[in-house]
Amino acid sequence: MTASKTYRSPSRAYYVTGAVLLGIVILAFILSLTGIAPSPNATSAAEKLQGPSAAHLMGTDNMGRDVFARCLAASKYTLLISVTGVLIAFTAGVITGLLAGYFGGFCDRIIMLFSNSIMCFPGILLALVAVAVFGPSLFNVVIALGVVFAPTFARVARTGTIGLLSQEYIMHAKVLKVRPSRIMAVHIFPNLMPQLLPATVIGLANMTLFESGMSYLGLGVQPPDASYGKMLADAQSYMMHYPWMIIFPSLMLVCYILGLYFLSEGIRISLGGESR
Amino acid sequence: MYPCDNLGLSCYNQLTMEGLINGKAGYFGVRIVELILTLFVVSFFTFAAFSIIPGDTARVVLGPNATEAQVENYRKQTGLDKPVAERYGDWIRGAVTGDLGESVSFRKPVSELISSRLPVTLGMSAIALIMVIVISYPAAMLSSRRPGHALDHILSVFGHVIFAIPPFVLSLLMIVLFANLFGFISIGRYAAPSEDFAQFLSCMLLPSLCIALPKIAMTFKFLRASMIEERASGYVKTAKSHGLSDVRIMVRHVLPNSSVSTITVISLVLSDILGGSLIVEQVFNLPGLGRLLLRAISVRDFPLLSGMVLYLAVITVVLYFIADIAAAMIDPRQRLSERARP
Amino acid sequence: MKNILEVRGLSLSFPSKRSSAVKVLDDVSFNIRDGEIIGLIGNSGSGKSMTALSVADLLPETASVEGGQILFDGEDITKMKPKDRRLLLGDKIGMIFQDPMTALDPLQTIGRNLDEVLQIRNIPVRERKDRIIEMLKTVGFIDPEGVYKRYPHQISGGQRQRVLIAGAALLHPRLLIADEPTSSLDSVTTMSILKLLKSLREKLNMTILFISHDLYVVRNFCDRVMVMKDGKIVATDNTEEMLTGTNNAFIAEMLAKSRLDPSELLLDMPSVDYSGSPILNVKDLVAGYSSGILSRKARTKTLKEISFDVYPNEIIGVIGSSGCGKTTLAKTICGLMKPTDGEIRMKEGMGLGVVFQDPGSCLNPSHNVRWHLREPLIASGSKLSPEEQDKVIRRVLEDVGLEQKHLGRYPSQLSGGQRQRVAIAMCLVLEPSLIIADEPFSSLDAVLAASILKLIAKINRERKTAIILISHNMRIVRAMCKRVIVMSKGRIVEEGLTGEVMKNPGSDVTRELIEAEKMLGGARQSSTGA
Repeated sequence: MTASKTYRSPSRAYYVTGAVLLGIVILAFILSLTGIAPSPNATSAAEKLQGPSAAHLMGTDNMGRDVFARCLAASKYTLLISVTGVLIAFTAGVITGLLAGYFGGFCDRIIMLFSNSIMCFPGILLALVAVAVFGPSLFNVVIALGVVFAPTFARVARTGTIGLLSQEYIMHAKVLKVRPSRIMAVHIFPNLMPQLLPATVIGLANMTLFESGMSYLGLGVQPPDASYGKMLADAQSYMMHYPWMIIFPSLMLVCYILGLYFLSEGIRISLGGESR
Repeated sequence: MYPCDNLGLSCYNQLTMEGLINGKAGYFGVRIVELILTLFVVSFFTFAAFSIIPGDTARVVLGPNATEAQVENYRKQTGLDKPVAERYGDWIRGAVTGDLGESVSFRKPVSELISSRLPVTLGMSAIALIMVIVISYPAAMLSSRRPGHALDHILSVFGHVIFAIPPFVLSLLMIVLFANLFGFISIGRYAAPSEDFAQFLSCMLLPSLCIALPKIAMTFKFLRASMIEERASGYVKTAKSHGLSDVRIMVRHVLPNSSVSTITVISLVLSDILGGSLIVEQVFNLPGLGRLLLRAISVRDFPLLSGMVLYLAVITVVLYFIADIAAAMIDPRQRLSERARP
Repeated sequence: MKNILEVRGLSLSFPSKRSSAVKVLDDVSFNIRDGEIIGLIGNSGSGKSMTALSVADLLPETASVEGGQILFDGEDITKMKPKDRRLLLGDKIGMIFQDPMTALDPLQTIGRNLDEVLQIRNIPVRERKDRIIEMLKTVGFIDPEGVYKRYPHQISGGQRQRVLIAGAALLHPRLLIADEPTSSLDSVTTMSILKLLKSLREKLNMTILFISHDLYVVRNFCDRVMVMKDGKIVATDNTEEMLTGTNNAFIAEMLAKSRLDPSELLLDMPSVDYSGSPILNVKDLVAGYSSGILSRKARTKTLKEISFDVYPNEIIGVIGSSGCGKTTLAKTICGLMKPTDGEIRMKEGMGLGVVFQDPGSCLNPSHNVRWHLREPLIASGSKLSPEEQDKVIRRVLEDVGLEQKHLGRYPSQLSGGQRQRVAIAMCLVLEPSLIIADEPFSSLDAVLAASILKLIAKINRERKTAIILISHNMRIVRAMCKRVIVMSKGRIVEEGLTGEVMKNPGSDVTRELIEAEKMLGGARQSSTGA
């Protein structure tokens, strides 16, 4: 990516790079469904800690599992958790944020008190505690991450709604006695998109950061299922001499997150966030 | 978190009683009342998470294999047989006086366990914060001077890439890199700050850098956008028309103005840094709160867990509070609510 | 007379990588004589601001000067060292800008904002403060010590413009460049700022280059006027000759289009029966904004005991300076704000429409014009079939002077004037009997504003719709309204037929508004208007 190229058409360069990086992870997800690679959880004492070869594209780990297969399988959980988690956070956050912003007053105070209190706990701590209390299952991890991220969306939606309320077309709709639900649906929600869209994409990335961290600590995706965080935790004792165990999962993880960041940057620029 | 979410929307604004009292003293008074209110709510949440939501806490703590008598005994011992309100009252009274109960697994007071682990977590976070400020500000100033030019692009793309690497992955990569490049790793040789402060600092450096780098990227990105915006504002035009030099305009006007919103971002960064340190110290094998937390989670040591959660939450709330006050010190519009008179 | 500034052959362009460079200034040459006030007028995009910025060397970085000389006091300042040229600003050339709200650093007191001008020129601390206080007094502050300690957000827009003028004049520059300094201010404040500039010229012996898009502001203020169009200066003459409009086609056209002739407009209006029952009856209305937690008690009263009637078919003017409560009044009548006390009674079965000020936000950017015009019908539960709805929409569209092709366009594809027309059309769809127009013309230039006002008059004439016209400009109210309500500080201070109120103003507020009208070209308007 050269300077002059990005200068001419910055959003397009971001879109293309983002799409390529995300494409790698989505391709991995599709491949994991086709069963092209060996079973991700099959151990083989004879084949442990082998370097990359034709038989094992990314080598094998300390239990003789195929790293390539595990990388493919892990993409499934990364995508699944981030997408469902963001879906939960988006729905809960945007609805409460809209209500708080539109109606204001007491409703606003209660909703914001609740969401601010959630934000007073470092996010990862909240997710870890939730898992500690309810037990580490995939379902609990997704719900916990959804709750942790909901206030972010609530804030974006609330701030945006309050900003839009002073717009004359909304005052006009109120004069015409349009129902609040309709005003929110046709006037507010579509015009929140410039803020919500990048926030959603960034939310996917941040959720993946959290999920991988939790899995690394052993409190996210549970073994024997593969996840990038867990793979890295397993690799830690072997990384000095068997670097493939750490490089490939790291690359996949960074591909996904970086792809999302570039995508959000592209969206932000093309929606007029920043001209350069 | 996404840097632009929180523009000028600090944590306490929703609880404000702005307009109730005018002037500086009034502003700080209101803020302190809000701080206490928030601490109260946060403490209740923490209490609820461990004492109400799980249902039969004693059973959950002791596990399914404990006999009914053991469970009953535990309830008596920890006061779980009392009504909820009374338990909360006792807990909060203890917390204020520094008594957070006794850990089930360590058989030691929770506050003692936490304070012995605190230097690592806080030290790491503090060093990381200093790195964030010391690096992101000059980088953003350089970048925003000529947006769209080569240097700006290099910094921005580099920032994106760094931003996308989770701190613990960065730590792992750094360890491999350092081990292969220099043949040494400074992990594992932890020294308490009271014993050997220099050694303590040196083993904190790399972990702090790993936590700080993504946050540097994030702060840089936000600050850069904010500076570009401020540089296009009306008062910069006025300052130029007064004959002020570029450097002076940057230092006296653009920097303070872009700092007002950046302070909120930095306070959020701090909360992330605290969270990040919990994971990163695991990678570097440092005896901080993160390891204590994992241990507590694995044995379901609820008194220890609730104590730690409360501790970290209080630190975060206080940091937000300080950030809010700092922003108000810089920005008179936040502390003086007096309106224009036509 | 000596020339203080000579600009010769100035050309400026914005280089673009995709297409050929955009030429903003094309061989601009002019002279400014020592001690005069010279106006530079033109439509937006004509290059008048760029001319000023070139002289001050404050051009955006992307602009490239392609040639030309700028001689200040006989010296070519384009050839000066960067540092000397920079210090020339403030020392010899002062400058003020359009938007006073953002032109002061919000984090520093007024005193510190001004202090820097002197500080960088190594003037001792004690002298600095004395000079600033002195200058604040000169620009009309009664309590300069108090203002010195205040923050920008604590003073009003007009006061901020005074502070900015003080800053620009602090070192007694020879030339003051004023780039649309009054276009975001109301008419009374505009008048006071123009008076201030005139008195400063006498006191400090300054020359003023006054940039504006408004002929009426320039009219009684400038000695000479230059007209810019498409990056060229197309005419220069004494104001008197220029604005009689005979020898310049461009000016003549601008004058004709922006003219609001009371004798023309008022004559055509439908007659009003003041003895009949009013369409809207407002009685003892009190309203205000709550401020904080003790909302009920701590309400600041923006409206105090407002009572008036609106009769069918009439255009009634509501006039007052900014902050007098006229917009709050409009919002309260529309139901956007709840009155604290008093009552608003509409005649049974009468619809209400409203048009606001800002063409930038009057339409929802996510939907096209067709959607906007159908929405009121849907929202009101209209039982018309889609074909009938289309018919209504098309008729309304024609009424407001738009075409079929505009139906599919999105707000971003329309100009400010067109958007305001769509907003008016949205009102008309439901055929209301009363429309509240809250300065729908205030952010448009004179020509467009006049066209919107003529449209409002036409609606009143053809549809017999009563209209409440809110404005701060007596010229507009005089041309449009038979009856007027004068507001100040949330109260009605005067009410009556416009002609009579003009002849025998009963309050200082009204007198000020009338004086502003005269200053801003109203008086001459009537003599040359016919």
